[in-house]
Formats: sequence, C-alpha cells, structure tokens
Amino acid sequence: MPSSNPLPPKENALFKRILKSYEHKQYKNGLKFAKQILSNPKYQEHGETLAMKGLTLNCLGRKEEAYEYVRRGLRNDLKSHVCWHVYGLLQRSDKKYDEAIKCYRNALKWDKDNIQILRDLSLLQIQMRDLEGYRDTRYQLLMLRPTQRASWIGYAVSFHLLEDYKNALSILDTFLDQQQRLNNFDYEHSELLLYQNMVIQESGDLKQALKHLETFSDQIVDKLTLKENLADLNLKLENWERSEQLYEELIQRNPENTIYYEKMIEAKRLTKDSDIVEFYSNYDIKFPRAMPPKRLSLNYASGDQFKALVDKYMQKALSKGVPPLFVDLRSLYRDQQKVQIIQDLALGYLTSLNKVNKFSETETSNGPKEPASAILWVYYYLAQHFDYLNQTEKALEYIETAIHHTPTLIELFVTKGRINKHAGDPIEAYRCLDEAQAMDTADRYINSKCAKYMLRANLIKEAEDTCAKFTREGVSAMENLNEMQCMWFQTECALAYQRLGKFGEALKKCHEVDRHFSEIIEDQFDFHTYCMRKMTLRSYVGLLRLEDVLRGHPFYFKAAKCAIEVYLHLFDSPLKNENAEQEMNTENLAPSELKKLRNKQRKAKKKAEQESAQAREAQVKRDQHHKSRQQGDVEADAPQLDELIPDKLARVDDPLDNAIKFLQPLQTLARDQIDTHLMAFEVYYRKRKILLMLQSIKRAHQVDASHPKLHSCFIRFLQEVKENQHTFDPSVSQVITSEMKSLLTTKDPKVLNKEFLDRHKRSLRAALEGGLVMYKLDEKSQKDALNLVTPSNIEVKYQDVDIEICTEILKCLRNGLFGTNVQSQMDSFVAHCRKLFPHAEAFKPPREVTVQPQTNHVIESDSN
Amino acid sequence: MADDDPVNGTSDENSEKSQQKKQAKYDSGAADLEKVTDYAEEKEISNQNVANAISAIGDRRNQAALEKQAREKELLKVSIRKEDVDLIVKEMEISRPKAERTLRENHGNVVNALTSLTN
Repeated sequence: MPSSNPLPPKENALFKRILKSYEHKQYKNGLKFAKQILSNPKYQEHGETLAMKGLTLNCLGRKEEAYEYVRRGLRNDLKSHVCWHVYGLLQRSDKKYDEAIKCYRNALKWDKDNIQILRDLSLLQIQMRDLEGYRDTRYQLLMLRPTQRASWIGYAVSFHLLEDYKNALSILDTFLDQQQRLNNFDYEHSELLLYQNMVIQESGDLKQALKHLETFSDQIVDKLTLKENLADLNLKLENWERSEQLYEELIQRNPENTIYYEKMIEAKRLTKDSDIVEFYSNYDIKFPRAMPPKRLSLNYASGDQFKALVDKYMQKALSKGVPPLFVDLRSLYRDQQKVQIIQDLALGYLTSLNKVNKFSETETSNGPKEPASAILWVYYYLAQHFDYLNQTEKALEYIETAIHHTPTLIELFVTKGRINKHAGDPIEAYRCLDEAQAMDTADRYINSKCAKYMLRANLIKEAEDTCAKFTREGVSAMENLNEMQCMWFQTECALAYQRLGKFGEALKKCHEVDRHFSEIIEDQFDFHTYCMRKMTLRSYVGLLRLEDVLRGHPFYFKAAKCAIEVYLHLFDSPLKNENAEQEMNTENLAPSELKKLRNKQRKAKKKAEQESAQAREAQVKRDQHHKSRQQGDVEADAPQLDELIPDKLARVDDPLDNAIKFLQPLQTLARDQIDTHLMAFEVYYRKRKILLMLQSIKRAHQVDASHPKLHSCFIRFLQEVKENQHTFDPSVSQVITSEMKSLLTTKDPKVLNKEFLDRHKRSLRAALEGGLVMYKLDEKSQKDALNLVTPSNIEVKYQDVDIEICTEILKCLRNGLFGTNVQSQMDSFVAHCRKLFPHAEAFKPPREVTVQPQTNHVIESDSN
Repeated sequence: MADDDPVNGTSDENSEKSQQKKQAKYDSGAADLEKVTDYAEEKEISNQNVANAISAIGDRRNQAALEKQAREKELLKVSIRKEDVDLIVKEMEISRPKAERTLRENHGNVVNALTSLTN
C-alpha cells in the first residue's frame, strides 16, 4: 500500500481492523482502533487513520467533526489515495457530487488502477450524466476486471446511453457468447436477452430484432413481454397475419387490455368505422365479460348504431350502479350528436323508470323490474351531464333530486360540490365536500378531495386540519405532508397563498415541491449498482430516461408556474418595508386620527409579537418532541438544506433570476406548453433581454401562432425594439430584423393590432388582448377599447365567454389597465356577468363574498 | 480482489444505509430498500477468449475516440472573436463554453450563432 507514512505491522493490523469495522458498521469499534493508533505519539498525525476516523464519525452523524478529521488527515498525507477517496466519500454523502468527482480523480492520480475508486467514480459520473466520462471509466474497469460480469454489462450500457448501438451490441454479443457456453439460462439471462433486444430495436434494425427474439425465445422466461414484443415487431414489419395471430393470443390471455385490440385493428388494417364496430362486436360475443369491446366500439359507432350500443351500455351500468359511468363516457362528448343521443336516452330512462320501473316503457311485459337505485344513478348521471354542458341550474336540480332520493350517498355531495366549483362558487363547493367528508371520515379519498376544495376556497388552516386526520401524530400535518412529498397539497396551498397575497408562503410551498423533485433525482443513486447487479437493465435504462425529464412532469409545471408568477409580481411591486408603508399612510391624516392609528398599530404589533412568541414556543416543543421520538437514531448524513423562510423568500433581491431557475427546466422539458414561453417572455421583458424575448416569441409562435397572449408579447416586443434600437449591437439588430420579417407582416403596432382583432372577431380572449393594446397605444381610444371587451351583448358577440375570461376582464378594469373613469362601465359589466353566472363568486357584491366559513363540527383542534 | 483495498466494497453504500435506517420505522418497504444497497460479490465469468474480445473492443473504442477528436479539432480550428463570445453570453445568458461552441459551430458568424440560439 503506497503511503508516504507507512505504519509498522502492529499499527497496520489495527488500521485494517478500522476498515473492517467500517465495512461491518461497527463504528464504535472503528473509533476504538483509531484511538489506539492515534494515541501513539509517533502516529498521532497519521493521515489515513485520521481520515478513516472522520469517515466513521460521519456515519455516526457527527458531520462537523468528520470534516475536520478528514481534512486534517488529507493535509498530513496529500499523496494518499485513501485520504482522497475518503474525502470524496464524505462529499458524496453530502450530495456535493462535483466535488466528490474531483476527489476521486485526485485519488486515482496516486493509485490509477484502484477498482473501488473507479467504481465509485463511475457511479457519480452516471448520476451526473457525464456519459463519456462514464464510458471511459467503465472501459478501465473492464480492462482491469475482464472476468467480471458487471464490467461487461456496465461498458455495454455506457455505449447504449451514448446511442452508440453498434458498440453496445458487439459487447453484449461477446459477453452473451460466453454465457451461452455455460448453458446457464436463468431469469437474469432472460432479462439480459430482452435488454439486448431493446438495444437492437432502438438501433432501428427491426428485422434483426425479430430474428433475435425468435432465436432466443426458449431462453426468455418473461413470456408476456416476449409475446408483446414479437407481436409489435411483426406489426411494425408489416407481417400482418403473424402479428394478428399473436395479438389474438394476447387477447385470449387478457381480454381487458385495450392496447391489444387497437393493435389488432392495425394488423387487420381496418380503417372504416363500421368495420371496427363489427370487429368489436365479434369480440363482445367471444368475451362477454370483457369491457374493452363494449366500450371501445362506442368511439367508432354513430347514429342509430351508436344509440343501440350506448343504450345497452348505459342500462347495464345504471342498473348495476357504476358510479364512474359519466367519467367513462365523457370522452364521447366531443361529438355533439353523441351528446344529444345520450341525453335523450337518459331523460327517457327517467320517464320510464318513474312510470314502470324499467328503462323502457315498451318492454313492460317481459323481464324483471329495475332495482330502486337505478333511478338514483340516472339522476346522478344527468347532474354530471348537465354540469359538463355548463347548464348549472339543471345540474343542481338533478343532484338535489338525487340527494332527496338518497341522502346518504357520498358521491352525490362530491358532485354537488363539483357543480358549484364549475359555477365559480368555491365556498359552497367546499361546504358540500365537507358534508361528504363528514359522512365517512375514514375515507381518505374524500378527505383529500375535501382538503383540496378547502384550499380552492383559500381556507388553508381548515385544509391542514382536515388532512391531519390521516397524517402521522405528533408532527404538524403541514410538515408530515412535506415529508411524504404530497405535492398536490403543497401546490394547491401555494396557489391559495398566491390568491391571498401571501407571496412568501406561496414561494415556500413552491420551493418545497422543487426540492421533492431534486430528491427524486438523488434517489436514483442506489439503482446504479442495484440494477446492474440484478440485470434489470430495461427498467434501469427506463429509469434513467425518466429522471432526465423528471421536471417535465405536470406537478412541477404547476408549481413552477406559480413560483414564476409570484416572482414576476414581486418584481413589479416589491414588498415595501413595513415601517415605510406605515409612514406613507399617515401623511394626510388629522392628528387625532393619527393618534388612534398609532394606538391601533401598537396593539396590533403587540398581538403579533405575542402570537409569534407562542408559535416559537410551540416550535421548540415540537422539536423536542421530534427529537425524543428519534432518540438514539442518528440524524444521519442527509445534508441540511437552508430553511425556507417565507419572509426572506418574498424579499429576494433578484426575483427575476429566481424565476429563471424555475423556468429553465420548463424551457427544455415543457417546450410544447405555450405557457412556458409566455412566462419566459414576461421574465426577459422585465430583464430587457431583447434576443431572449425574441426567443420566447419564436418558440411560442411555433406552439400556437394564434394564442391571444402571444399578441401582446409581439406588441411589447415591437415597442421595445423601436425605443431602444439605437442601443443594440449591430449583430443583434441584424438578427432581429431578419427574424421579424419571417414572423410579422408589419412593424406598426397599430396596424398589427387591427389585423389581429379582425382575424379573431369571435374571441373574447383576443378582444381583451387587443383592447388592452388599443388603449395602451392611444388613450383616446378608451371608449372603443371598453366597448370591445364589455359589450352589452357579450355572450352573443363572442363564442368563448366563460367565468375565467370575464374575471380576468374585471381584474383588468379594476387595476386601471383601461384607464380611470370606468366605474359605470364596470358596474354594468359586473351586473351582466352576474346574470350570466349567478353562482360565480367573482361577480357577487363584496359583502356576500366575505362570508366567514362556519366553524364546523368535523374540524378537530390540532393535537399540538 | 479488492479485499485489501483500504476502502472496500461496502464503504460507499454504508452512508446510504444509515440514512435509510431511520426511515425504517415508518416504511414497511424499507426492508426491500435496504437490500438495494447490500453488498454482493461480483459474479465471475471465465473464458479464455476474453483477451481477444477485449482487444477488439479496445481497438474499436479508439477508432470512435479518434473520430470524435478529429471533429473537436475541426471545431477548434475555427477562429472566434472574444467580443462575439462576450456578446452571446450577455444577450443569451448562457455559459461561456456553450457560447464558444455555438459560435464555432456557426463558423464564427455571430449573427448566425445568435439566430440559432433564438430557436
């Protein structure tokens, strides 16, 4: 062992025992042996021993001491690969992967063929996706240990990930060649063959892939995957009959898998709807209990045939009482004709059930009567049906009838809540859900739904209390939900805080969600060794690819969008210093009033102080409680992240740069979402980065050229160019000029706005954007702009009038985006909206909106 | 084998393990997770032809590496101006290496480089 300071035999034996103890997790023993060496004055500064002592301490959770010892060890023996390796391990346990890689590289300088260090390095490289570095390290490992299975597999995978299929395959071939000679066919071998096939398929040589599968079919034990792959390959290679035969076998095996049917249709090359319906009806006869043939045929049938099929389908479900029937059929609602047929049928059922207790009056003579619940399910269905069609009153009428019929069915209250939510009344919606939730407090689904509706009604405390019924005792629900990575709750929470103007709190929630994603990415670390060993390489590669696009997940998008919006808002109107704010308000007050105000403020301040003191106390208690629970447990090596403090988050110096951190993953992983680019524009517009504005516009234009919001971006971009052209670098100007030519027909914002409005005459969303621009370009056009967005016949003039857009218009009017002196126009607009959407909270007079939620019997006080 | 190596087999996995231990109380699946980081002896394969196969792989790899080197060299030959790189970094808010690379890929033409970055 090379070391600048070799130990004599006795101490060396002790050192080996430190290593052994470390491996066997006998850390206390390890420390004992280290002490024995270090107590010898000759070796009290022995580098490798000090480093190992540090590493052992790290495992006992004494991180600061660990760093101290490891660093001291390293200083005493800079040429020891052990010290560098240990330092790398320490950094790695702290998730500082870049640093750890540097340490490993230093270690390898002193011992370039150290297998263990190379292995550790390769793990970090794959984790950091340094694929070329990974390949090189795996090459060295293969050269050093050619007899080890993992060496071959790892090297092959590295080429696969680099999309170098030829090399990946030749390494797998060589390796499998040796395996086959051993005649050692087990599950792992089978998995390896399937992995090899995956690589062949990805290389694009489908013929070879098929041949490969057929050759090794008897060695592959995962018969289902084998057959699915065979069928798919035959289909892609247009071996129609063979593929058909294979899918037939697969359907026999599992007649509930919808994909098999769809592929079968492809193999049979059926394109006419009528043929497809017939195809499904044949399978319906063959497998009378299977659902897909019954349901999928509805997608293709039309007219009377559809009526007959859907009639049968609905009757069966209503008679049995299948709650999700509407959700099941909802995708058919894209077709107006089908909606009408379904509605006529359901209304018909209602009449007949009322008269003769059957779905049809014409079959009065034969068959048994329907169960009493049938009519209930019809009411339930119709309520959802009319809710979907935005006919709120009818929907409410049916759901009330249903509740009257059976007041104990939870689903009915959920639906009633949903109807209210869609009608724009989150308060009433949450009340319905609370009622549902009270009927079965052990039902976690309803509990979560109720919490979500509470958050939509901005009742955060209530939502937390509701969730607390299911979270672990002794910890606050908020904390526990964070620990469990309960992202839907945190995102809804963030949105509620955003609506309430508590921006710091909102940001905290968004950052928590962001951290979950980081943690999920960290968590793949274990799989690099595990999957390689267990030979589950297909799943492994799948996992790596999933992690690469993890932040493309809708959950991230939603949280990131909220964070970016909040940061933009904080940039536009930063939080004022509290004292300064108070000063401002006092300027034009009479002295007596001022005194009153001061008194009030003092009282409020005192109260706030008391409250925060209480909160602190509670926190301390909680911490103690927490610690006592975990006593003896090491607060191990999870790196301590900075605590998220709402107030600090809301008062950042660089909100835009913080927004960009959330934006960047979206720009690569959610490129197909226009919101990504619209938000990017807002950020870069405020940063005055003209080319990045151009970039956002171009990308948004590609996704949806006619999006109303994009129009406003174009106008602002043109104005920015016009005003600041003289400051641009000539190359930048050149880029802008040439790119604008391909994007726009004119450079005059007014002309552009007129063209835009003419193009989208029936869209209120377009009218709003156009109207805003119109007013901004020329304040004299205020009247025209207002008439554009708040005409008296708004629902006739435009075809996209809904609560969302009307609320937005109202917000614009209130915020003075159409100038001042708009009160009368605004009042009549609100009155009109109230007529259109009588339930919507946004248009109700303010008195009604601020109704305090009743304290409810189901809300229990927090146990803390 | 690596047995005499100072930092052996399980070393890197240990830190992970202790971390999981504390979760074990709450997660029933923790036992399975624990297995993930267990140390297992590498399976050996024995073959005389390994040497031949190895040398063939080594050669091919070198071939690929050479090709890549040549490509990189070609890119490095392109002369770029520092001011152009500065401009790209400033306007597009990207890292220097990336700015340089884009500029080289566009044969040093800053307008084309900027245009391609706005795509």
